[in-house]
Amino acid sequence: MTATQDAVRAPGAGQGGGEAEPRTINLIQGVTEALAEELARDERVVLFGEDVGARGGVFMATAGLQERFGKHRVFDTPLSEASIVGAAVGMAVRGLRPVAEIQFADYMGPGFDQIISQAAKMRYRSGGQFTAPLVIRTPSGGGVKGGHHHSQSPEAYYAHTPGLKVLMPSTPYDAKGLLKAAIRGDDPVIFFEPKRLYRAARGEVPGHDFTVRIGEAAVRREGSDLSLIGYGGVMPDLEKAADALAAEGVSVEVIDLRSLVPWDREKVLASVEKTGRAVLVSEAPRTANFMGEVAYVIQEQAFDSLLAPVVQVAGFDTPYPYVQDKVYLPGPNRVAAACVRALNY
Amino acid sequence: MIQPFTSQPIRYVAEDGVPLRPLPPSFTPERLRDLHAQMLRAREFDRKLITLLRQGRTTFYAQSSGMEATQVGLARSIRVGHDWVWPYYRDHTLGLAMGVPMFELLSQCLGTNSDTSRGRQMPHHFAARAQNFVSISSSIASQVPPAAGNAMAQKYLGTDEITVTTFGDGATSEGDWHAGLNMAGAAQAPCLFVCENNQWAISTNLKAQTASENIHIKAKAYGMPGFYVDGNDIVAVIEVCTHAAEWVRAGNGPALVECLTYRVGSHSNADADAEKSYRTREEVQEWLGRDPIARVEALLAHLGHPVDSAERAELIARTHREVDEEVRRAEATGQPDWRIVFEDVYADLPPHLREQERELRAEQTAAQNGGRA
Repeated sequence: MTATQDAVRAPGAGQGGGEAEPRTINLIQGVTEALAEELARDERVVLFGEDVGARGGVFMATAGLQERFGKHRVFDTPLSEASIVGAAVGMAVRGLRPVAEIQFADYMGPGFDQIISQAAKMRYRSGGQFTAPLVIRTPSGGGVKGGHHHSQSPEAYYAHTPGLKVLMPSTPYDAKGLLKAAIRGDDPVIFFEPKRLYRAARGEVPGHDFTVRIGEAAVRREGSDLSLIGYGGVMPDLEKAADALAAEGVSVEVIDLRSLVPWDREKVLASVEKTGRAVLVSEAPRTANFMGEVAYVIQEQAFDSLLAPVVQVAGFDTPYPYVQDKVYLPGPNRVAAACVRALNY
Repeated sequence: MIQPFTSQPIRYVAEDGVPLRPLPPSFTPERLRDLHAQMLRAREFDRKLITLLRQGRTTFYAQSSGMEATQVGLARSIRVGHDWVWPYYRDHTLGLAMGVPMFELLSQCLGTNSDTSRGRQMPHHFAARAQNFVSISSSIASQVPPAAGNAMAQKYLGTDEITVTTFGDGATSEGDWHAGLNMAGAAQAPCLFVCENNQWAISTNLKAQTASENIHIKAKAYGMPGFYVDGNDIVAVIEVCTHAAEWVRAGNGPALVECLTYRVGSHSNADADAEKSYRTREEVQEWLGRDPIARVEALLAHLGHPVDSAERAELIARTHREVDEEVRRAEATGQPDWRIVFEDVYADLPPHLREQERELRAEQTAAQNGGRA
């Protein structure tokens, strides 16, 4: 804790620590549980945004939290992303642990200046005299018939800004553990939540307090012929493509980056060195896609291991098309076809 | 009782030094002398910084000559080190008056090893933790929503601190400005918004900036009082800002103060020909006639405690000696080395920055060894 964050009593031991059994929950429950547990653990944590209070958020991620923690801890703000993000910066500098919700990642535009000019650079530009440890949670990605202002994947804008950490879970375990790590960390974090997995992704979480280390990828399945790497909403498509290829006798290793900044080069490079082939999948537009950086590092650091060019599967360089939702998103068939291209090179 | 939303700026002292109303008892001759000294010190600091610019020892400077009463007055209206300040880029006089050491200000302007911001910001963008003087950002009005949030945190924490944020008239056109005032109003946060209306945003005049009859009236839209004060009358600035600050501190919500003032110099060294390109000599002359330092000198003379010329000369000479000495001291600390590039990006150095640091380290070592890696 820096001198800036000294105003409120440090948190207690947390409310985990019990011996409860693991439970199966969905991704949005993972988000809600993380928020509830951090609110209970640390009175510096406050939660706010548009409709997060009584309504519980448009996706119900904060449902019941205002009732449980009170209006001073969980509250609605004016409809203004610049206000929401900017206020989070000011609160963080003054010693709170703000968790701001932006209703859709597509709406972060008006808060962009606050993110890149204030949040990302506070520590650096003040020589560490002031810091802004905040979390901005926001649903992102397509697949919910939302049209382009409810479906975009803007993570590359933020990954391009030094000073920010950028995360995107795809499982309930990661959603819960990464969000808790983000709230406890000392850096500003942009936490993208793949909205089409909110209820579709189910999985087990421990009954005790846990966090997921930021910057560490997860190997979802091990394989020897090809490394299939993605993050966020596309992960089920990677699994399906890997299943299809397994039926053809191809052994695919599936990696979920989980954390884009910083990202786990070590695990990715070790995998590509083992398999000799990499297929990178995301649903964001192809040009200047974050996976371009991953491809660059693979060619630079694992060139001698490559048996085929790195193949990228991405969204198109178009605004997101409402009706052609399914055409736009990579999907298991496009992912599998890309793997075949790499295998047949 | 000081009223908001006045049609004319609130004044206590006329240009010729004659009080327009009874001076509050706290404005003793001793206090007025101290305020005069503070303002004179800031103006001479400005002069010396222009010299440093001409000598190529710093690269950017935004003078606040003409605005001393606004900034010194604001500093004297708040609890320094207790309240929090989110300043804008023309606030070194505010910083000086709040007690930020001249050594620190100069270290930042010169980018020396003694700069608490580690030489990462362009000159004139300070941060001072001891004074809760938060790091200055160049992007206009971007400090305003965070100031609202800072004040919301103070309310949440139950402190009796307030947050002060300053900005020029140009900032009031930015979306962030409106977002910040609206947020503070809705949250009833203890935030004091202070417009240092110097009437020019680089070369854009206030009339081109807004169709509003003035700035403070905009406070009505956000449910807070707007005070209008002659920013070149330090008595008025202190009285109005203290009133507004204490009103905010008492839990009444935010307030806006508009200090009507004028920068007599250029926007920065980037437009040193201001009088030739976008404003008239007559306008500048008119405002020179309302000079805040001259006004306090006239007031002191009127009160029978004139500042004599030897005393004034000594004040100026002392400031020049102080700047020279602190510049020497700051420059003696050298420049921050290459490592500052990677420090303070994150709380800890992540792997990709560790790798980039290694690359730069190798490059630096090779350079030191005459090109041999």
